[in-house]
Amino acid sequence: MKELLEKYCNILGPSGMEDEIRDAILEDIKGSGCDWSVDAMGNLLVFKKGRKKRNKKVLFSAHMDEVGFMVKHIDENGMIWFGSLGGIDRRVVSGRRVKFCKSGLRGIIASKAIHMQTPEERGKCEPLEEMNIDIGANTREEALKYIKVGDCATFEPDFQPFGEGLVRSKALDDRLGCAVMAEMVNSDLEFDTYFAFNTCEEIGCDGAAEVVYSLRPDIVIALEATTAGDVPGVSKNLCACSVGGGAVISFIDGGTIYDKGLVSLATSVADANGIKWQFKNVVAGGNEARNYQTGASGARVLAISAPSRYIHTAGDVLHFDDIESVRRLAFLINERSFDND
Amino acid sequence: MDRLYDIIGNLTAVPGVSGYEHLAFERMTEYLSSLSLFDEIGTSPVGSIYAIMRCGKKGAPLLLLDAHLDTVGFVVTEICEGGFLRVAPLGGIAPKILPAAKVNVYGKKTISCIFGSKPPHLQEKGESEKKAEVSDMFIDTGYSADSLKEIVSVGTPAGFPPDTERLLGNMIVGSGFDDRLCGAAFLRALLMLDKNELNIDIAFQFSGLEETTGHKGATTTAFRLAPYKAVVSDVTQAFVPGAPKWREGVRAGGGAVICYSPKTSRRFTDKAVQTAEREGIKYQLSASPGRTGTNAGDITVTKGGIPVVQISVPLKNMHTMSEVVDLSDAFEASKLFAALIKVESGEVLL
Repeated sequence: MKELLEKYCNILGPSGMEDEIRDAILEDIKGSGCDWSVDAMGNLLVFKKGRKKRNKKVLFSAHMDEVGFMVKHIDENGMIWFGSLGGIDRRVVSGRRVKFCKSGLRGIIASKAIHMQTPEERGKCEPLEEMNIDIGANTREEALKYIKVGDCATFEPDFQPFGEGLVRSKALDDRLGCAVMAEMVNSDLEFDTYFAFNTCEEIGCDGAAEVVYSLRPDIVIALEATTAGDVPGVSKNLCACSVGGGAVISFIDGGTIYDKGLVSLATSVADANGIKWQFKNVVAGGNEARNYQTGASGARVLAISAPSRYIHTAGDVLHFDDIESVRRLAFLINERSFDND
Repeated sequence: MDRLYDIIGNLTAVPGVSGYEHLAFERMTEYLSSLSLFDEIGTSPVGSIYAIMRCGKKGAPLLLLDAHLDTVGFVVTEICEGGFLRVAPLGGIAPKILPAAKVNVYGKKTISCIFGSKPPHLQEKGESEKKAEVSDMFIDTGYSADSLKEIVSVGTPAGFPPDTERLLGNMIVGSGFDDRLCGAAFLRALLMLDKNELNIDIAFQFSGLEETTGHKGATTTAFRLAPYKAVVSDVTQAFVPGAPKWREGVRAGGGAVICYSPKTSRRFTDKAVQTAEREGIKYQLSASPGRTGTNAGDITVTKGGIPVVQISVPLKNMHTMSEVVDLSDAFEASKLFAALIKVESGEVLL
């Protein structure tokens, strides 16, 4: 699991550029005897036959894309003006290293030296649209040899376990979901199961909106990372969830009120198997479940998430134990027929 | 230039946060010894290392080469519940570069950590536009507070990991180039010379406390060494978009920067310019009407006064974890140092 996670996290795949991560997942699962197809929008749809049929169509879903940057303009100094792919907080960007898709070109998000900042600028963080990526080119002509408008980059890949059982990396949201699902596809399953590895979640959950129409699932279980706010300066009643506190089972978030039957099923399966889990204590965030719940003729939805501090940064911080809790819970829930759940 | 890159890699690999330079002494001394250049290597109680290369001739005067050893960094001020650390900056660090930045904490063992941030949905409206201080930030260590107390205490230093990488052409990115880069340029210059052919002794000092306490490492070691002249090298701001017009003249890739200032010796500075011209070394001029902002302005008033020339290397994003330089500028600086040493040596009659 760790190796798979590291491999997936270190691949560059911002929204709209999921080819490489999809190829890697496909390479890992196609020997499993599954049926797979890639739809017109790049979503990878997988059907894995189990020992038994299921009356309900059960779909697990994770997204392949990550947040990133897109080149909008290259100026006369060879500096790159960019926009974000997905939601990136302006305060986590200045000084970070980035890597461009396909070319592998390195860049850094320029940060004017503190000595050159005006008193007004000191202590402040400019909006993304005023920031530049520096690839080391001194003129527009030089930069154009390596880069063009529309090219994409992500935070630099740097998967690193640290502390007591934690890991930090770009793109753990949602390569952890991809890694868990790849393991599921490669396992002997009790029941027939569908899997969707989606594109463009970060810019509005487009993949899920397409998949719900083409697959028409009855039950969808989204596997993802969710914001943890267990950091200094945030009171416990607002922290949402805690890293190390177990898998997060959402009953409500900013986009979805989850299926009550599935939520109570998830909590009882977790309890019965000694899996550490937690609810979120704020109504915030959201994920693909919203699109599954409300797309086509609707579906019952559940989200099982791993808590992540600093999500959508160069270093999402997660606990391996939480990822393991998500993995175990996903496997165990999939052993249900859902006939009576 | 590959040799220079190699030296930079070796020098930046050794942590030496301002005020905690002694943590660099052992490895740095070892590295300086490995170059087989120096006859004597010593350290000072105020964070400096000096290494003397003797020409072997009696009565040879001593020329000082100064770059600073210390880098900007942090010191732990509080160990918080949940395994987080609060820190104070050592040297000028912009708070905006910290959230999600990697940081090494140099406790009983070195632990690799990350600066944390408050999640956007828990921020008040407009909070991201407000001014912040380094003291508002926190480091996420990944340890429980109890485990952390075994490794770290209040007063433990921390700094950016070097993470040196190549960008396009000769451009490189990393942290601590300020001022290890200039130290590397000096060492590269000394490797180009044959000390037996010189008529002067050379002292290379890697001085402490530049970033924090007003250049006290440089002046105290200069006092001890008593050179007849000094060459000071530090990084200087390269032009970046949005900088004032007057900064347009100093650019990454434009060559070594020779600086005129009332604090430095105009005669020695003119000599550096003439030497660069004669040897075809790429250079650019800068002017610092104040106290230079570097060790140059303080070394010059040491003892009865020491004539100083300041030769810098331009750098972008100073005091961040992603300082960017054109390696060829540092290489031109090293060629100029070597040429200038030969000129100085040639003027000495023994």
